[in-house]
Amino acid sequence: MASATEQRETDQVHEIGHEEYDPIGTAILIGIYFLILVLLWLFMYFVEFLGNGPTVVGALLTVVGLA
Amino acid sequence: MNIHTYEKAWLVAAMVLIVGFIATITYGAVGPGIAMIDDDAGSIDPNEISDHERFGETGVEHLGGNEYEVNVVAQAWAYSPSEIEVPAGSEVTFYVTSRDVTHSFTVVGTNVNTMVVPGQISEMTVQFDEPGEYGILCNEYCGEGHHTMEGLLTVVPEDEFDLTELSTDAPREVEVGNETTINATVSNGMQDGLETTATLEIGEQQYERDVTIDGEGSAELTFDVDTDALGEGEHDWTFTVDDHEESGTLSVVSETDGGDTNE
Amino acid sequence: MEVTRMSSTAGQTYLDQFPAEAKVIKAAFWSSFMALAIGGLLGLVQALHRTDVLRFIDSADYYTVLTAHGVLLAITFTIFFLVGIFTWAVTTSLDRGVVDIRFTWAWYIMMVVGTILVGVSILGGVVDAIPTNADVLFTFYAPLQAHPAFYVGLVLFVVGSWLAGADWFRTWWAWRKENPDERIPLPTFMALTTTLFWYLCTLGVALSILVFLLPWSLGIVDSVNPLLTRTLFWYFGHAVVYFWLMPAYMMWYIMLPKLSGGKLFSDPLARVVFVLFLLLSTPVGIHHQYLDPGIAEGYKFIAMTNTMFLLLPSLLTAFTVVASMEHGARQRGGTGYLGWLKALPWRDPVFTGMALAGLMFAAAGFSGMINAGMNINYLVHNTWWVVGHFHLTVGTAVALTFMAAAYWFIPQVTGKELWSRRLALGQVLVWFVGMTFMSNAMHRSGLFGMPRRTAEPQYQGFDFEPAVGTVGEINAQVALGAVLLTVALAMFLLNMVMTSFNDDSDSLPANTYAGTLSGPEDSPAVLDNLKLWTAIAVVLVIVGYTLPLASIVDSGGLFGPDIGGFQLAIETDPALVLESVREVMP
Repeated sequence: MASATEQRETDQVHEIGHEEYDPIGTAILIGIYFLILVLLWLFMYFVEFLGNGPTVVGALLTVVGLA
Repeated sequence: MNIHTYEKAWLVAAMVLIVGFIATITYGAVGPGIAMIDDDAGSIDPNEISDHERFGETGVEHLGGNEYEVNVVAQAWAYSPSEIEVPAGSEVTFYVTSRDVTHSFTVVGTNVNTMVVPGQISEMTVQFDEPGEYGILCNEYCGEGHHTMEGLLTVVPEDEFDLTELSTDAPREVEVGNETTINATVSNGMQDGLETTATLEIGEQQYERDVTIDGEGSAELTFDVDTDALGEGEHDWTFTVDDHEESGTLSVVSETDGGDTNE
Repeated sequence: MEVTRMSSTAGQTYLDQFPAEAKVIKAAFWSSFMALAIGGLLGLVQALHRTDVLRFIDSADYYTVLTAHGVLLAITFTIFFLVGIFTWAVTTSLDRGVVDIRFTWAWYIMMVVGTILVGVSILGGVVDAIPTNADVLFTFYAPLQAHPAFYVGLVLFVVGSWLAGADWFRTWWAWRKENPDERIPLPTFMALTTTLFWYLCTLGVALSILVFLLPWSLGIVDSVNPLLTRTLFWYFGHAVVYFWLMPAYMMWYIMLPKLSGGKLFSDPLARVVFVLFLLLSTPVGIHHQYLDPGIAEGYKFIAMTNTMFLLLPSLLTAFTVVASMEHGARQRGGTGYLGWLKALPWRDPVFTGMALAGLMFAAAGFSGMINAGMNINYLVHNTWWVVGHFHLTVGTAVALTFMAAAYWFIPQVTGKELWSRRLALGQVLVWFVGMTFMSNAMHRSGLFGMPRRTAEPQYQGFDFEPAVGTVGEINAQVALGAVLLTVALAMFLLNMVMTSFNDDSDSLPANTYAGTLSGPEDSPAVLDNLKLWTAIAVVLVIVGYTLPLASIVDSGGLFGPDIGGFQLAIETDPALVLESVREVMP
């Protein structure tokens, strides 16, 4: 149905109001995005960054690190 | 305000994400102890770098134990020194400043990376656990030759590292039968004392001497050379202390053609 | 308020409604396209040079080309398009023209004069007949010094944009007198909040140029404090990225829902988002200086916290915009959890361009989160990663949205039908594919330390060691991406030029924007209190910047310790080239 109606601005099939509309597809997409962000962040920080040593450390904090 | 339940949930998730990011960064600071470049090292007048206590003489300095300092001056389009050598297992604090425009001091393939802004001193402390070789580059545009600005950082195995410097002073020509000496100055840049053997080889002859040099000290060594035994001719000599060596050639000439004896 | 305000003007194009304003907007768009054409072409020259695919300029001239590329695209292209769109947004949504069209032309001409001054002074770096030099890149960090004309041109351009903002405010005040009780229409609300943080942030760069850099380049003062002018630049330099992003956000909020066949999901949340940008865009600039000496770690941490919270409006936008698209798709008959995606008008270049731009922005959001993370900056600072990031943001989220928008706007302001929708659709796809190659390769290369801003990233003493892939493969992807982007750019310009030769059309769609599912009546009136939000924004800036600036002035002095200007050129005499490595030539 959609392919037959492209390019026209008035190809609305029915009207959906605010009360009856649940953006479930958006919730799924944004959930996937959230997961990607979390996994990539962990990978970038703990693998790419902390695995890329030597790293600049504070002289004081190294003592804490050894203890 | 009329906000959909899903959107409220996303708002909460977004806040969790943000707080989680900040928490990770904070963990990096207190766990592995990652420190940011800050204002601790103070400011400097770029016109007075040459007279500055730290940057008047650039290079590696031993502080004692496994601690070292490296003082670096960046300028278009080179670092002084351009090659840096430190031992593995060391804790090295870099101090970097610029003589002209803004540069960076970036050790390639590591997280050692700082901007070098004229008027400021960048300070970073780094632990080098393993031997390795790293390029150094400037990643801030600094004029038309920017892409040629580079250096080299070598982390050598601990037992191969020293801060010994050797300079020699020897005549080039001597008359056969005359006494002559080959002199060497051995300085020890480490804070710890240095016990080693100095060797002079000349022709078929070999001289050896044990030397002990205090931390931050130096020793003058004088070797008498027997020119009679060497005989007339060109004699190559090599002076060795630890892995450092200097060499030269001594001409032993007959009494008659010897114009002058260079000291 | 669910209907857009165009009852009196139904069926009319923008040109029919506001013929005088349409002319200025058309001029602004064309200025923007010209900057895009020149800047984009220079981008190809750089990409081929850096990757060693084709080098036909001197490496020394690379930096002149890079300066022009940065200034023309980051400043000229984006801001000319912005002033066009915002003028459209204010007049359309208030349903009234500007107060005085001569004033509108005045700021436009001022911006053009500024651009020409800047452009010519940069061009002096490669054209001997022009006695100027401005090889200082887009960031013009002192003590690299440009010709005074460069700084004067920048000031004129920025002041022109200030007057444009004044124009929108005047128009709104005039409307307010006639409509004292109405909520500010959303497009105008977006333009005004954006203008407010633009005023706030440009104060920094104005101060940097007028008090320090311009007098210094003229020889009136002989020294600057490089860290101070640099900090003032970044005070402006991060907010400017939101400045050029806001028109793209506006398009996603008020055009994408309509193009999808639906309505904006939430007008109140859109207002909240723009208020957050007004509050947080400026007191974050220090996150560009995480690796700068002379700034204490605590200030860097505060800047990071602000920056991370600035993610919130963008994350909210992602939901609202996608939900609006889903609404349109379902109204068009789309069904299923994700099956509705197929019901979106993918053959419409305006929709597809904006949707792909939004998708790219989601990816850019991730690399931006990395850039915002304070200590992880050691990994990526000044590497090609950063360049990959902003080619996704300004280079796609903004540029592709603008080009897609142009396919709708140019017919609106000229009354001529777009020359080829099919070419336009192909264009947005080629741009997307080209940028995928280029930006992905750039991001990856940053992770093994490949620097940005360099003519020849090939060193004598060491090689780069990618964990995955090779330097050659990455270079090939960047070069391929750059060629595709240039092809897309040519397709865009061709379409624009051919459209302007079209005959006038009377079958164009009316000048409308999206209605809302949840309108402004659902939001508290305090959201429209611009004075309140501006006051809070000023307080946040004072809190974020007073102490760092005071400490920089305290340690380095207001004018620095006798730091003169440098124009570091390689002498042409080969004997001197060797010497110049050791010698600095002021």
